[in-house]
Amino acid sequence: MKHYKLLNWLRKYPWLCLILLAIPSTAYAADGKPTGILGAIDAIFSYLVAALSQVLFFSIGGMPFIVLWLIIGAVFFTIRMGFINFRGFGHAISVVRGHYDNPTEEGEVTHFQALSAALSATVGLGNIAGVAIAIQLGGPGAMFWMTVAGLLGMSSKFTECTLGQKYRIVKPDGSVSGGAMHYLSRGLGELGLRPLGKVLAPLFAIFCVGGSFGGGNMFQANQSYAAVSGVIPFLQGRNWLYGIVMAVLVALVIIGGIKRIGSVTEKLVPAMCLIYILAALFIIFTNIPLIPGAVATIFREAFFPQAFAGGFIGVLVQGFRRASFSNEAGVGSAAIAHSAARTEEPVREGIVALLEPFIDTVIICNMTALVMVITGVYTDTKADGAQLTNEAFASAIGWFPVVLAIAIFLFAFSTMISWSYYGERCWEYLFGDRTTLVYKALFVFFVFVGAVVNLGAVLEFSDMMILSMAFPNILGCFLLSNKVAADLQDYMHRLQTGKMPVFK
Amino acid sequence: MNWLQKNRVLVPIDFSEESFAALSPAREFVKDASHLYVLHVLSHLHPAEPGVMWNTLDDRDRQQHVKEALDKRLQASEYANVHIGVAIGDPSSEIIDYAKEIDADLIVIPSHGRTGLSRFFLGSVAERVIRYAHCPVVVLKKGN
Repeated sequence: MKHYKLLNWLRKYPWLCLILLAIPSTAYAADGKPTGILGAIDAIFSYLVAALSQVLFFSIGGMPFIVLWLIIGAVFFTIRMGFINFRGFGHAISVVRGHYDNPTEEGEVTHFQALSAALSATVGLGNIAGVAIAIQLGGPGAMFWMTVAGLLGMSSKFTECTLGQKYRIVKPDGSVSGGAMHYLSRGLGELGLRPLGKVLAPLFAIFCVGGSFGGGNMFQANQSYAAVSGVIPFLQGRNWLYGIVMAVLVALVIIGGIKRIGSVTEKLVPAMCLIYILAALFIIFTNIPLIPGAVATIFREAFFPQAFAGGFIGVLVQGFRRASFSNEAGVGSAAIAHSAARTEEPVREGIVALLEPFIDTVIICNMTALVMVITGVYTDTKADGAQLTNEAFASAIGWFPVVLAIAIFLFAFSTMISWSYYGERCWEYLFGDRTTLVYKALFVFFVFVGAVVNLGAVLEFSDMMILSMAFPNILGCFLLSNKVAADLQDYMHRLQTGKMPVFK
Repeated sequence: MNWLQKNRVLVPIDFSEESFAALSPAREFVKDASHLYVLHVLSHLHPAEPGVMWNTLDDRDRQQHVKEALDKRLQASEYANVHIGVAIGDPSSEIIDYAKEIDADLIVIPSHGRTGLSRFFLGSVAERVIRYAHCPVVVLKKGN
């Protein structure tokens, strides 16, 4: 019975053969602009980007609408939840350490495991290349606003992940399905806003599928190529080769179901994180005398930017944009992974989730930024994105680019695998679980596309899709915030009066 | 004995109400419920699903959970002694394979009347089962 599948596929999708045939014939014209099928893809993206930016980056007082939306959301949730980002911090750590893990509750994994699953999607090129881009476009002051965005974003993350748990669906096989699409449809339905939920949930799912092709995929492929080709000269000018290798690896895991590659990567990522942080700390500590100056520069440039044309608002916008791209707070994606935690207390997983922007943005992004400012490479180079970070580290530790390239490769790979899961969940929500193979094939194709197109188009598309997710998500979280606040109050009351069973 | 009487009738169950409702017409083809076979087909989990990543939810557990869920659901009813199968993979191929394996005489399957994109991409399960099954297939239309 198995053999008829392939025939069926080819019979149903004759265009698949066309794509397969068209890829090798793709070539670059003399002016470096891609022609053929890549040129067409580039043109489609440019068109999409232009149309979407009319809406998303609609300027309100010099600030793009969607960035303002993220800021308002983060500030609102911080106040509405009574500064949960600070007061929940200690409790978050004891939950992650397993004190409250009850093995008999429904769900797939422990709090710690859910957090690290979500982190593997967030810690990626955003922390390395994204920070470089922020500093390039907004100056060192952008880092200050990234940190502020990270701290406030902890409250957005808390709200969305609590909702993700609250409205998750536990399937008969014990697996969990949760995320913004579920709380938007079911949560808003409870409030009597069923029609609105029916619009916002699919909207979120569509953007999430787009985001999984953009920031979760093409941006990662693109920037990891930049870093890897820096240390393997053979790859220079052979981005198509890198694209094919990366696409095959991703296909082996998500289509071939070779779990080992995936699980090895997921285990290596924390180690790479640690190496990255240690290297950054090494550079920071060997340059201790420069620290006060660097911090002063970051603060001064945050409020009175001199080196960059965008002015105060421009710096702030860059900071918030890159932060939400990196830690995904307000975007709603992480709620999908956090829903899988084994617990019957939605608030508890929300509190665990607030550690995510802290680790991602406040710690890791700041490391990158400090190295960048101390070494000063951002002022006198033409490199962009990941290459800039690479140069900054290389100027202090000559051999580090090799390690960094490995780290970047692994970050990119694990982020892609995790985002393909987010995207697949949303695809499943839109089209049912029987067409996920179509999604996976598209995903693999975009890995290749990401490696071969230039940064500009990729970055803008990535940004747009990921930022767009924030629109339906934050709107839903606003409307459902009373429920979350009530649950939080109840939870904190039980915690403080000692009614919470402790298991460890 | 009725010439329509069957020995083994397969009813694929996807936990939708329509699929459970298919048990009653299927029951009319057999002497008693012990001749009924229900099958649920699970899809493969994504390798980045947290439970897969951390190896806390494997396919054996999932099959066991579904079996328990079906047992619980059918226990109280007149279908308490049906045979329960759980497979993992593409629904239509698994249904066809399982029907062969148990040597089913008949498959009773509801049609969900899928529309739009998913129909365009894959067609309906019922359609493919009709085309490739080794035995007769009864497709129940919505509203019957």
